[in-house]
Amino acid sequence: MNTTTVSGLAAPRDGRALATGWPARIAIAGILALVILPLLPVGSFVLSIGTTAFITAIAAASLHLLIRTGHVSMGHAAFMGIGAYASVLVTMKLQLPFAAGLVAAFVAPAILALLIGPLVLRLAGKYFVLVTFLFGEIVRMVFVEWTTLTGGANGIPGVPPPHPRLLDPQAYYYFALGFAIVLIGFIARLLSSEIGRSIDAIREGENLAECSGVPVLRVKVCIFALSCGIVGIAGALQGHFIRYIDPTSFSMVQSLNLVVVNVIGGMYALVGPIIGTAFFMITPELLRDYVELQRVIFGIIIIVVIAFFPGGLVEIAQRRADALRGKRKVGP
Amino acid sequence: MTAFLEVSNLTRQFGGLTAVRDLSFTVTQQEILGIIGPNGAGKTTAVNLMSGVIRPTAGTVMFAGQVITGQSPHRLVRSGLVRTFQSTTVFTDRTVYENALRGAFLSVYPGALHTFFGTARARRMRRETEQRIDELLEWLGLTDVAHLTAGNLPYGYQKTLGLVIALASRPRLIMLDEPVAGLSAEEADQVRETILRVRDSGITVVVIDHNMRFIKGLCDRVLVIHQGHELAIGKPLDVLANPAVIEAYLGRGHAAAHR
Repeated sequence: MNTTTVSGLAAPRDGRALATGWPARIAIAGILALVILPLLPVGSFVLSIGTTAFITAIAAASLHLLIRTGHVSMGHAAFMGIGAYASVLVTMKLQLPFAAGLVAAFVAPAILALLIGPLVLRLAGKYFVLVTFLFGEIVRMVFVEWTTLTGGANGIPGVPPPHPRLLDPQAYYYFALGFAIVLIGFIARLLSSEIGRSIDAIREGENLAECSGVPVLRVKVCIFALSCGIVGIAGALQGHFIRYIDPTSFSMVQSLNLVVVNVIGGMYALVGPIIGTAFFMITPELLRDYVELQRVIFGIIIIVVIAFFPGGLVEIAQRRADALRGKRKVGP
Repeated sequence: MTAFLEVSNLTRQFGGLTAVRDLSFTVTQQEILGIIGPNGAGKTTAVNLMSGVIRPTAGTVMFAGQVITGQSPHRLVRSGLVRTFQSTTVFTDRTVYENALRGAFLSVYPGALHTFFGTARARRMRRETEQRIDELLEWLGLTDVAHLTAGNLPYGYQKTLGLVIALASRPRLIMLDEPVAGLSAEEADQVRETILRVRDSGITVVVIDHNMRFIKGLCDRVLVIHQGHELAIGKPLDVLANPAVIEAYLGRGHAAAHR
């Protein structure tokens, strides 16, 4: 076998390479930049965009975790909503501290996922997409109809901040950034561990994984529950930041946005949803002068990315990097 | 000779169709048993039943003295019974090495918390598994291609890699579903040599195939299944000379000509 023929896209993409080296350096540089940003003379508007981006990044990364098992959920925002409502109700109706709300925001959607997971995770591909889509709609209906608890379509106004000092946009910016680092770091570690290896094995060959000793359904259900719990925390962070929750914030459109963020960024590396989030948050701001064209241009970009780079923006970067490396390593 | 794998009255119905009917046989330790039969005879269903992919309607399967009927595949792997697949045999986008590592899930996975925190136990298991995989790849001649993407390898290599994935979990018995389908005669001979070496290392083998030449040169005993039921069992040459077997395979006219 001629080893020199194997390069570029065919090169081994083992998780190990991602855990160390330049990706780690880029991550640290990125975090530093985000830490420094509020110290520059930027308005509270930029801080608010940043905070929303961190929350979106957590939600998108949690969906990424599920996508890695081979299941694209079209109802992820519903779990985000369940987390948001759980936290808001615990802090407002039960008058408990935010920490208790946060626990409820994780536990409530995770338990629901544990209950429906064993049923829906047996469904492959498009059937899972359909069922989660319907599930999302059912949850939204519950938010709308259960008016005594959820306030119905009017939502719940006057949500308290996690802490009085977090009324300051800059403080909340760092608060959300902290959560994003911890939760995305957690997902990154999980995916680079042996659990991550079995998750990838399940996506690429479920039978083969099962017959190598991986308890496929159990792994899927656990990851689904974890993913829904994490997105629930993102929901709580959003509810207590905007200080208002209503059913439209957790509708089908939001679920679709989370999927789009993953598809644009790239579905098979954790940097995908992060890059996707940045793109998703920044592009509309750049197109601000063309409000009526904003959605159209955004749509065209999405189509182009999906059509030419199925691996998302990550794949574009990967190809550039491979091309550069290829130039350097000509010859044996 | 005690039975290592004992199948008793195994039956599976799909709606009105009985795919496997009252099938009973035993496999002794370190034996190579071939299962042959015409298309649709129920060979793959039988393997699916024994390896836990589907549950039997009736009957029992015993492995190493334990009843394993209806246990899920990942639990059977734990007790040392592993199977390969006809089509999806390898993780095509991954390196040969990564494929083997995935096959070794049980010996490399130290538990959720251990792997998450990268404890000493996790590192030790990883180190030991890597060493074992190096030896395994060396043994089956895949060391030189260890860092190539599996999907880019010739088909014969991929079949061998499928075997490596199965062996990586340290099985005591492996079931191979058509290990030489689509291979050239030369490649099939290589696979046969490999399977013989696997057996000589102490592993019991159950192999399904159509290829008579391959089965004859490999198996200690052959079980012929026809319409989900045992038609004959015994030494390869005896079984293949059996008129009932010839008739099932080639039709009545040929059976008469062979007499």
